[in-house]
Amino acid sequence: MHWLAIYLPALPLEVYPEALASPLPLAVGQDPRGERVLLCNAVAEGRGVRAGLAAGAALALVADLRILPRRPEAEQAALERLAAWCIRFTPQVSLAPPRALVLDVAASLRLFGGAEALLTSVGAGVAGLGYERTCCLAPTPGGALTLAGQGHGGIIAGRAALRSALAALPVTALGFDRRAHDDLAAMGLRRVADLLRLPRDGLAQRFGQGLVAKLCRLLGDEPDPRPAFVPPAHYAGELELPAEVPEAGALVFACRRLIEELCGYLLGLQAGVRRLEWRLGHADLPHTAFTLGTSTEGRDPGAWLAHLRERLGRLILPAPVRTVALTAGEVRPLPPGPLDLFPELAAALAPDPGLLDRLRSRLGEEAVRGLQALPDHRPERAWRWCLPGEACSGRGRADRPLWLLPEPQPLEVRGQRPWYAGPLDLGGERERIETGWWDGFEVARDYFIATTGSGERLWVYRECHGRRGWFLHGLFG
Amino acid sequence: MSLEQLLAGRPDLWRGRAAPAAAPTGVPTGYPALDAVLSWGGWPPASLSEVLDARPEGALGLVLPALVRLSHGPRWLLLVDPPLPPFAPALAARGLDLARLVVVTTSGETAWAAEQGLRSGACSAVAIWGGEAPWRGAALRRLQLAAQTGGALGLLFRGEAAFRDPSPAALRLRVQRGATGLEVSILKQRGGRPVGVLRLPRSGS
Repeated sequence: MHWLAIYLPALPLEVYPEALASPLPLAVGQDPRGERVLLCNAVAEGRGVRAGLAAGAALALVADLRILPRRPEAEQAALERLAAWCIRFTPQVSLAPPRALVLDVAASLRLFGGAEALLTSVGAGVAGLGYERTCCLAPTPGGALTLAGQGHGGIIAGRAALRSALAALPVTALGFDRRAHDDLAAMGLRRVADLLRLPRDGLAQRFGQGLVAKLCRLLGDEPDPRPAFVPPAHYAGELELPAEVPEAGALVFACRRLIEELCGYLLGLQAGVRRLEWRLGHADLPHTAFTLGTSTEGRDPGAWLAHLRERLGRLILPAPVRTVALTAGEVRPLPPGPLDLFPELAAALAPDPGLLDRLRSRLGEEAVRGLQALPDHRPERAWRWCLPGEACSGRGRADRPLWLLPEPQPLEVRGQRPWYAGPLDLGGERERIETGWWDGFEVARDYFIATTGSGERLWVYRECHGRRGWFLHGLFG
Repeated sequence: MSLEQLLAGRPDLWRGRAAPAAAPTGVPTGYPALDAVLSWGGWPPASLSEVLDARPEGALGLVLPALVRLSHGPRWLLLVDPPLPPFAPALAARGLDLARLVVVTTSGETAWAAEQGLRSGACSAVAIWGGEAPWRGAALRRLQLAAQTGGALGLLFRGEAAFRDPSPAALRLRVQRGATGLEVSILKQRGGRPVGVLRLPRSGS
């Protein structure tokens, strides 16, 4: 068995977006009341603040130190998002709160090119999402978590190596309860090596079965099953920006992180989405919302980013942006890849959906449309706009003009004949189009194919009732 | 053996009006008289053609047979900024597969949309109506290059006033209306000569 533990030492600080890059000294308190310092940023560390220092002592050292309360919910949410992202490496991801994940990678080693390569790609991926991390690959989940928690990264090849790596750690690293720690200290057991030397039955008598069972699981003498993390059915991510961003174009960087997270989540589910809903939060105005859509399910971060850039380029912000939230629309499984003998050929023949998406994201959803012919005798109802590619081929009529005016245009009448830059020759044929009581669009018209003096052909009609006016309705090309 | 046969046997001999030695590769226009004088045997493939007509909507009938033919392929047929919505029943009646047709309406970004369509390789033909804006030489050259890259048939409809402007298009046609049908003259064709007025019968109805 191979387990990969990811320990996030700076997570309590990282859930504060402004903390890491801040030029001011910052620290996170150990408990909600903030009595002791749990973590501090590089500036505070440079001025002498250490983890475990009492708040009063820390403030005495650095007068302008800001001690932030810990945010357990935000940490849990970040951990879950990271777990969803990790599903790309293995379906068996377990949370180890408060600050770690453990992945069963036994079945993934070959796919990702061996333990070394897997460890590198996991480490680089987590760092790319903006987390400080220690990754450790070991034969047991407990062992991997313990070693990573103590800052020991790398690969532990076998159980013997695990035993000797653990032996060097202090017993406090094993995470027993406080009373057990005190008792062990009183017995003079400081390192794990001291504990491992003792006979198990004696330990069980003294400290109870719980401690021994934990030790056995740690070393791999007993199985240690872990519950698998089940990714949520929907994705919703939110990011607080370190500083207010006044310009839409500058948001791309922040959005990239959310897109990367979403695409990792989708990759794990073998799914894609068609719509991304973005919400930009402002200080006191209602938020700005917009949607990105594509015509097929996608999960390629590069493609989404390109669309986003086009969209943000057109966006005018009413106020500086404080938060960016991303909600994925309906998550749908991706169709399996084509199993053609010549996949390149099939790809070359299929119309590229990316083109229409590009046009849409720059020109707007309404600017890219298809045409559909409908079976209706009234010209205005005989067609409608539709989505490109959706039209089924109707029969149509050959004696219709190629262009239809959006509104019939009244024609002048001179000497009882319609006039359009000259008298019109109406030809002999007349077509009557009438009725339409069922949908409130009733017509009664006599249509003619008229020819102008210059040889142009027009589709004109005369009303059968009322003013009996003449109208131009279409142009034959 | 006649002189004609002797000359035809020499592929290295350039005979002025002769079409390129390769088989005609153009997209048939649907008008045999026009195909016969075009050096590609039809619309020049993977390049830009210009149709100059006083009325922007006038020349759709001229290019429609070629569009109908292309619409049965797998690629899109893009209409960029048509002056009016084309009437779907009439197009369907002439055999156009409406499922391949995409109408793009831009506000002043005609050149960008047209170039995207031509370059993408996802379109078999892109018909472009320029509206009132004059086309600059650089913009036309970009369209021509995009059409070459994407292997698309570019059809640009321009006003008659563009008659005197130089253009990088592979083919330039001028369309006028006569009593019996369209009168087409070829102003320029790559690898061939201009041709005077050609009377084409009305197609469709």
